[in-house]
Amino acid sequence: MRRRGFSFESRVMDREVTGIGIGLRYDLAVELLERRPETVSWVEIHPENYVDRGGRYQEMLDLARRDWPVITHGLSTCLGAVEPFDAGYLAQLGDFLRELEIPWHSEHLCLGQAGDRFFHDLLPLPFTEEAATIASQRLAEVRDAIGAPLALENVSYYAPQGTNGLAEVDFVVEVLERADAKLLLDVNNIYVNSRNFDFDPKAYIDKIPRERVVQIHVAGHHVRDDGLRIDTHGQPVPDDVYDLLSYTLQKVGAVPVLLERDNNIPPLDELLSEVDTLWSIYRSATEVTRAG
Amino acid sequence: MLADTAKAMQRVCFDSEPSEADLELLGSRERWLVYRSLVRTRLVGVIEAALPRTKAAIGHESLGRIIDEWLSTGGPRTRYFRNVPNELANFAIPMWRDTAEPWIADLARYEITSWSVRHAPPNRISDAAFSFEVRPVVATAVAVLRLDHRVNETPTPEDGYERDPVILCIHRNQEHRASHLVLNPLAADLLEAWQRGDETVSESVHRVAATHDTQISPAFIEKLSTLITTFIHRGILLGGHAPPS
Repeated sequence: MRRRGFSFESRVMDREVTGIGIGLRYDLAVELLERRPETVSWVEIHPENYVDRGGRYQEMLDLARRDWPVITHGLSTCLGAVEPFDAGYLAQLGDFLRELEIPWHSEHLCLGQAGDRFFHDLLPLPFTEEAATIASQRLAEVRDAIGAPLALENVSYYAPQGTNGLAEVDFVVEVLERADAKLLLDVNNIYVNSRNFDFDPKAYIDKIPRERVVQIHVAGHHVRDDGLRIDTHGQPVPDDVYDLLSYTLQKVGAVPVLLERDNNIPPLDELLSEVDTLWSIYRSATEVTRAG
Repeated sequence: MLADTAKAMQRVCFDSEPSEADLELLGSRERWLVYRSLVRTRLVGVIEAALPRTKAAIGHESLGRIIDEWLSTGGPRTRYFRNVPNELANFAIPMWRDTAEPWIADLARYEITSWSVRHAPPNRISDAAFSFEVRPVVATAVAVLRLDHRVNETPTPEDGYERDPVILCIHRNQEHRASHLVLNPLAADLLEAWQRGDETVSESVHRVAATHDTQISPAFIEKLSTLITTFIHRGILLGGHAPPS
């Protein structure tokens, strides 16, 4: 149910989210908020880190909002759990998002909870019809409760799926279509999964309905000694992920791209150098799209 | 069924030892042990960030054992990562009271209270200036903590802390860090009354002073003024609400 008297669409026009953004994280906030680099066009936050919290986090958000549009990316309202949602939390989240005037909110297509216990990590859903049904229904439920457009994000996974389910991309598309939802396309997650499970990441991108993509995530990841890739957001973006981003942007057009860095955070200049690379890819890829 | 899968994931991540049956159900022993490690490492990390001195005092292994024990009750109930250490502390502090050096539980209480104050909600808005006729409004990031050991004094002595009770007002300072003031018992009771906010300042001062058999003399008024000034200066006391007419 949409809340009356509030139009997300009209507010999007006021604070348009385009180009390259960066995740607002505690460890880089001081320098980021002091320097306010012009190459950063917007910031993304995890609402769980700010809802009902004062102090430094409140200050960080207030300072960021002076210059940048803010996008929200949830961590705990995972779409694959089977328990009823906490209506109180969703109401609180909806209030928080309205205050921020976000153009859309995103959550992960994963399992983050069992019963009343939270994993504080993104565990994989089985790519089955049952999970697709549950996730699409829950997505619609959250969207109604928060009264905002909701995008799901594809996640990385490390455990092989059973043989009785869908391919990952077919599972993601199934949920998108059933829920008529938007997609936050995480290019690094696709790359990580493609290397861990030996599939062609470009073929994955080709199957994504481009009109549903509203945002892209890129990040670096950790490669273990045994070759398993873990989505840590703790390393620079590797060239293969930049290449896949370029391919993706040529397909989907100029959707906003977020650089995620959550761990092992380097000096801001190193991140801004990655932002510059992202801008270069963004501009060239979207010029190709426009020319085509 | 997805519900069964989710429960198996929960047991694999949080049980003391994951069962072979669950690992088989989920399909890849090696990779689900990776998930177990990822989930637990994250949780241990935030707990250690909240309780660094407690960890140093009892040792990494001892803290690890009690985290294991707590996780085996099913995992965190909070969706807020910042509140994970509070759940561990609620579980562990009663155990440390019974089994560890007497000051360890106090140290953990001091650290977790400081952590909670740092991350407490934004302040409520007061609609009136502070006066004796208003119901006081105290900042949300304020806690009164009664300790049997002065664990707020650092560094931790080699032989631990002797019993020496103290009452602290822990609050979030201008730099968003936890800071503390030492209070006497009357000041602590007053602050707690002001936190409840169900009496006017005048009513609470008279009631608390009577409880402590203290005359409201000029000397008392002078000390009370100093206390109020300190609380206002430190952002502990925000103002007040006019009482309902």
